[in-house]
Amino acid sequence: MNEKDLLLFDRLKDVLGDPPRTGPVVMDVKTTQFVRVELVLLRLLTEEGRNGIFISVDRPHQYMVHLLNMHQIDHGNLTFVDAVARFSSDCKQAEARVGFLQGPRNIDTLPEALREWSSRSNSSGFDMSKCSFAIVDNLNTLLNFNSHQVVQTFLDDFIKTFEGKVTIPMVIDKERNLNLFQMASSNGRPHLDLSTESVPRIFNRPRLQIIEPNVCGGIR
Amino acid sequence: MESTDIGRSDLARIQTGIPGLDDMIEGGFPFPSVILVSGTAGTGKTTFALKFLAEGAARGEQGLYFTTLSEPTQWMLRFSSQFEFMRPEFFENEIVYEDLGNHLRGGDSAALLEAIEKRIAEVMPQRIVIDPITVVGEMFKDGYRQFLFDLTNRLKNWNATTLVTGEVLPGELYPPEISYAVDGIVLLHLAEELGARRKYLEVLKMRGTNHVTGKHSIDISRKEGLIVLKARF
Repeated sequence: MNEKDLLLFDRLKDVLGDPPRTGPVVMDVKTTQFVRVELVLLRLLTEEGRNGIFISVDRPHQYMVHLLNMHQIDHGNLTFVDAVARFSSDCKQAEARVGFLQGPRNIDTLPEALREWSSRSNSSGFDMSKCSFAIVDNLNTLLNFNSHQVVQTFLDDFIKTFEGKVTIPMVIDKERNLNLFQMASSNGRPHLDLSTESVPRIFNRPRLQIIEPNVCGGIR
Repeated sequence: MESTDIGRSDLARIQTGIPGLDDMIEGGFPFPSVILVSGTAGTGKTTFALKFLAEGAARGEQGLYFTTLSEPTQWMLRFSSQFEFMRPEFFENEIVYEDLGNHLRGGDSAALLEAIEKRIAEVMPQRIVIDPITVVGEMFKDGYRQFLFDLTNRLKNWNATTLVTGEVLPGELYPPEISYAVDGIVLLHLAEELGARRKYLEVLKMRGTNHVTGKHSIDISRKEGLIVLKARF
């Protein structure tokens, strides 16, 4: 993680608390920054071996697994629900605990499917009672496959399913999708403005350093 | 509940940085997407790519520039610094420059794909440039189509808009191997008229976009790089 990501990490930790507060939190994030913010969120939420679930709608879950591996974020306690891999021609490989959906349509039936999956006595994939956080990547993409009404039903039931015991960050671009933002932040759900995360930083002039010749990047 | 009436979320778009072009494509390139910028030598492909990255950098977006030409960084900086829009600080921070030359010489397309993905996962860019992609075709004659299919498929999943440049010979429009796999094609033309060479830009394809068609005059200046002029061809 770079300096910007670490600053974001500290900010999120400050806002969400340690351990992170439970319940839904709506986050206003520019679309271009979704993945970055989610990665930082995952680093924070998986700290101390916390369990969680990541519902992948925007791209096959392997991409997030690859990112987590690359950034040395332990995903051993993370369960993926992949809603798009079944109709993607992608053959990218990754090792993770995952359950697949037929597709992202009829998303309002997902909470019931999660409860059913968790209740299977022989399930090695997902235990709702041990879950500390739940993330959907991302709500905006759900609208490509479902009506606003269906997404709203899903959101309400999804939040109810976890009975206020888990952290549910909802990453939404308010400027791009005000309706969705208002829907998610209804019922007094708290929201956090991270829309300035893509604002250019103020340039500071780094000091020069002498690097020894045998160090990678030095004089050869 | 039956979900027949989908929400139809609009495509997210990012500004191209090319004055005049965003107006032709409903506000910018779709995000994420893979766009081919094609043209003969000297039409402004690299200038287009640099402006695209500089625009992102100025907006706080991370850029990643892959060169397939084995061009040293300082050489690249020497030319790009002639443009007023390119701040040297960008190349230490918002624009990461990566030479793929060694991987290309290795001759292993799977290893090249892996190297590209590894760097993307490290840098997490919102804007990627591969300049020029056609060199890869010359190095990997066998399996080039499969490589392009895998590359574009994966690039679309990295949550970035990728601009690949393709060099063609005079008389050709675009490299046919990649055209089917990309979401958009922007052509840069060079035409000799009344003894002078004039440059034009044409949006040939832009998925999910009601784009303006036809050739449009362009100019390249130090201040703004490539500009689409108002008057139509």
